[in-house]
Order: sequence, then structure tokens, then C-alpha cells
Amino acid sequence: MKKIELLSPAGDLERLKVTLLYGADAVYIGGEKYNLRANAHNFTFDEIREGCLFAHQLGKKVHLTLNIVFHDEDMDGVEDYIEKVVDCGIDAFIVSDPFLISYIKNHFPQVEVHLSTQNSTSNYKAIEFFEKEGVNRVVLARELSKDEIFEIIQKVSCDIEVFIHGAMCTCFSGRCALSNYVTNRDANRGGCAQVCRFSFDCEYEKDFTMALKDINMAEYIGDLIEIGVRSLKVEGRMRSLYYLATVIGTYREIIDLYYDHLLTSDKMKLFQERLDRVANRETSTHYFMKEADDTDQYYTGRVEVSNQDYLGQVIDYQDGFIQFYERNYFEVGDLVEVFTPEAEHISFVVEDLYNDKKESVSVARHPDSIYYIKLEGDYVIPEYSMIKIIKRGEK
Amino acid sequence: MKLLIEVCNKKTLSFISSDGVILPLEHYAVESTAFFSLDEIEQISLNYSGEIFVKINRNLWNQDIEKVRDILIQLNQMNITGILFYDLAILELKKELGLSIDLVWNQTHMVHNTRTCDYYYSKGVSYAILGKELTLEEIQTIIKNSKITSMVEVVSRPSIAFSKRKLLTNYGKDLGHKVSNDIVIQEKVSHKNIRVLENHDGTSFFLDMIMNGTSILSELYQVGCPYIIMKEYGLEDCFSELVLDTMNYIHDGCLDDTYVKKYKKLGDYTNFFFQKTIYRVK
Repeated sequence: MKKIELLSPAGDLERLKVTLLYGADAVYIGGEKYNLRANAHNFTFDEIREGCLFAHQLGKKVHLTLNIVFHDEDMDGVEDYIEKVVDCGIDAFIVSDPFLISYIKNHFPQVEVHLSTQNSTSNYKAIEFFEKEGVNRVVLARELSKDEIFEIIQKVSCDIEVFIHGAMCTCFSGRCALSNYVTNRDANRGGCAQVCRFSFDCEYEKDFTMALKDINMAEYIGDLIEIGVRSLKVEGRMRSLYYLATVIGTYREIIDLYYDHLLTSDKMKLFQERLDRVANRETSTHYFMKEADDTDQYYTGRVEVSNQDYLGQVIDYQDGFIQFYERNYFEVGDLVEVFTPEAEHISFVVEDLYNDKKESVSVARHPDSIYYIKLEGDYVIPEYSMIKIIKRGEK
Repeated sequence: MKLLIEVCNKKTLSFISSDGVILPLEHYAVESTAFFSLDEIEQISLNYSGEIFVKINRNLWNQDIEKVRDILIQLNQMNITGILFYDLAILELKKELGLSIDLVWNQTHMVHNTRTCDYYYSKGVSYAILGKELTLEEIQTIIKNSKITSMVEVVSRPSIAFSKRKLLTNYGKDLGHKVSNDIVIQEKVSHKNIRVLENHDGTSFFLDMIMNGTSILSELYQVGCPYIIMKEYGLEDCFSELVLDTMNYIHDGCLDDTYVKKYKKLGDYTNFFFQKTIYRVK
């Protein structure tokens, strides 16, 4: 059985490297044009080239989003852009416009074309149309159940990709222009203002809201593998490095343990706790096992939790000292955990903390500054390991 | 230039005259307010002299495919000009069944450029309803340059989003009592009013304003726009008069200034005809 792909978002080159190190099999990125996150950092051609080189050295892949709804003015120069990013080494385009599917397949047959979820493809017959156009993979609509996904997989031959984790749109993807009409920002060209997360006045006693909980499919990874899904997609090109390292690292462990028949309920409980802790919203499996209902959304406007768990990003570990960039306040006596791209988790109480001049300090209070923690032992703590709080004031 | 209308009251069809009608098919059309059964459509097709377009614009599920196959076969045997489609399954089924009936590309917020219109034309799709998020200039460019026959929605309460979720039912459950399946919500900063309607297929969102494109009809006429569309929903009080006047106006070559002056009464909201949407906010 071909192992299922874990597909991570990467908002910039550093996230690309980190998510691949933490176990993603492929990443999806946006270039400086034509993607649905117009206000993200996005990748220059040089960064795309470097990212592809990095991924390919690890035997992994880079997918590039080209999934805006094109106006005529956007079409100017798109062929040249496609040629350049193909030259940078990308493995697949994520496309919503069928004209571009046909263009790419005719001119660059060596590159895969994946149909974006922007098309909200929800049945096998529509996929048959796109297969004949040369589409290699379809990212399904997020409104499908397990049975529906299974039936589609039985009836089509292209790869099927589904979203497993992250934020959800309230309306069908591609079928929403709330942002255009409320804020004049074009939802389908990368400017979505997420109006579905606003609250609204109405005739009733409480604001009308329709914001959704995030999706979290950790519990059903085995089901997705068994029904033949090819790729598991995590949402969030604009998410933090820490969030991505945690989510991707956790799903990597779940997938590997499932294939090795070692995924126990105790381990799942631990993974779920880890995912819940890094989330800033509650989660649900939405349509997968039942018709989505009132339990899948919020009713009190924005409910988002700022996560202060992330303490630092490791730069190096030598001679018993972890060198790291501080991200959130912590102090001597706190119980912390270092987790690594290789899924090592090392918990300890901070006893010796030093500033960038290696002067002893009792608190780390300057985000982005370099600090050191003394930790003696036979550990392998590579660059991009993360430090998080477990419990404050343990000692 | 021909005028197509979509009504929100079935009775309107009996006394109103236009070049054609759009009939949303019961259970298979969304973002509409009046729906017609297959039998009703057949009856209308036997008696109506204008063009009939049937709207099947719901996202389709696996379980719909065989039923839609049968529906397409039946519609192909009626005097129907075309089928408005959102889901590509319909285009695939048309090819598979070798049907002669024409199709109208009607992916609400996606019909936005000439080359993709031409792509669909090359796949046997004859018509496209252009996206409402286009400027007049963009509309004119597509009409002039695309091989597809363009249709432009000019007067309506614009549909702006659609969800599979039962958002009003959910809201009512949170409140602890039932809420209407047709409410108006107001965004707190822009103060834009949005009409929210729920039925068994999901929840539709309409801007609670009338998009008044009467002032651009002469420009559309001059550029050779083949079809314009007007929708009754939100315009119930004056729709028959508007349609009658518009028929006269367009058949007269859009030369009568009194028409434009008269329909200023519909308001000055001109949607995106003269206003580009932005997407980079940095």
C-alpha cells in the first residue's frame, strides 16, 4: 500500500523547511501572484527554487497554488509566470480555472495539476470531467461525508486529497463573495476578509453569527487511509511556525503509528491533547460522520484563544546548552518541553537560564532575543526544535 | 439584446412578457426564490413562445447523478433553450449522453475572464452568465472578445454566497426558539444589510439592496451584449412595469433617456460596474 501523503501549508521558506523536517511529505506554497493569500508573505522565484531544491533533496514535493478566480487583467503574463515556476522545479500546480488546467497539461505535461477545493468538487461525475482534462488530483469539497468520499474514490482514477485540519469556510469554497460585498475585498482573488467570522445585528435578541469551528480529523486518519484517500491536507499558510511544527509533527506520528499498527487509544489521547492545545478555536469533524449541524459553529462572535505555550525556537544545542530565539515569557522554575523534528519530546524544569551574553538571568522576557538553557544529557536537539511550556512555576 | 427574467412569484409568468425566462428547477436550483417542477416546466414549454432556460445550479452529490441524468434527458426532449449549470457533472453528463440541449456556464462568482469563457465554449457550452463582481469595462471586454454568448445580470437583489449548512436553524437552536427562514442581518461596520434565506438545500445570502444596472443598458447594447437578466426578487412592486419598459427600451435601441431617469427610483447602487474589488490590502 502506497503511504498516504501528509501535505502541509508553508507561508514562507522557513515554514517550508520546518514542516518538511517535521514530517510533511509535501508542502503547498503561494507565489507572488495568483494565489488566494494575496496578503501573505508569499514566495519569490528564488525562494521557490530554493524550496524545491530543499524538498527534493529530502525526496519530498512542492505544490504551488494558482487558484484565484482570474479576471482578464490577471491573465496577462500568466503563461510566463507558469513557465518560470516550472523552471524553479515545482511538482504540481493547484488550479481552479479549467482553462489553466488545459494550458498547463498541454505545455508542461511533466507537472501535475491538482484541482483546487475552490471548485468545491462534490461528486464523481464532475471528477470524471476533470480527469479527461488531465487533472491528476482533486482536492474535494469540505462538505463531503466518509461514505461519499469512499464512493468517489471507488469510481474515479485520479488521486483524492482532503482537508484534515484547520480553519473552515462557512459557505462552499468559490461560492462566496461576502467579502467582496461587505468589505470590497475580493474573496476569490486572495483578499478574503473572512466576513463569515463577523457578528451581525438582526431582529433577534442575540447577534447572528456563522463562524465555524476548525476541522480536526486526527481521530479518523485510519479511516481516511483505509478508504483510499491519497493526500491529507492541513490548512494554514499564514499560521505560525510553532503551530505548524506541532500539527505536522503530530499527524506524522499518527500516520506512521497507524501504518505500524502501533496507534493506541492512549497515544491518540495524547496527540489530540497536543493538537487541542495549539489550536486557537474548538474543533469538529464537520461532515465526515454526520450532516454538519449547530454543534459545528460558534454563536458569540469571534472565539479565538491566543496561545502562549510557544516559548522558543532552537537555533543550536552544544555542550549542554540549548541556544534559542525566545517567543513568549518564561522563567527559571517553569516546566518546559523541547520537541524535535524527529518527534523526540524532552521535558524538564528550567534551572539555568542565560541571556545572549551568557549572563545568568531568571526570566526570558524579550521575544526574538537569543537565550540559552542549560540541559545536560545525551540529547539530539537539532535546529528548528521547539520549546513549549508545560507548567509554570513548577519549582 | 434580449431580456431574460427570473421571477419570484410563479403567477408573474402569466402576465409578463420578455424574450425569455429562467426557471429554477425544484430541488436542484439554489440562490433563487421560486422553483418549478419538471412537470411545470414542461407545461410552460408547451405554451410559452419565448426562450426558456432551466437553472440547475446546486452543487451535486453522488446520489444526485442518476436523477440528474434522467432530468437532462427529459429536458432535452422539451422546448428548452438551455440549462444553467454550476456543477461540472452536468457538462460531463451532456457529453456522455450526446444531448443537443445548450448549456449556460453559471458558476456564480467564477465567470470572470475571456479565456475561460472560450474554454467552456470549446467544450460545447454556448452561453455564460458573467460574474456580478466584474466591472462594466471587464464585461464589455468579454462580450467583445469571447466566442461565448454572454448574459449579464443587470437588475436584481444580488445573490452573494451559498452554504450547505442550515445556518438559521442552527441560530434558532442557539437562541432556544425558532427563527424565520428569511431574515435580514446587518454587518456592524459597513452597515450593509444581507438577506439570509434557508431551505432544505442550505442557506443563501443576498445583498439586501437592488443592483440597478438600468443606466448601463445603453453601453451593453452598443457593445452587442446578447442577453441581459432581471430578477423579480426584491422588485415585486414594479417588476412587470420594469420588464415592459425595458423590452421597449432595448427594442428601441436603448435611445430613450426617460427610461433611465424613471428607473433611478430603484436606487443608485450599481454593484461593481464602476468599482473594482481589491485584493491586496498592504
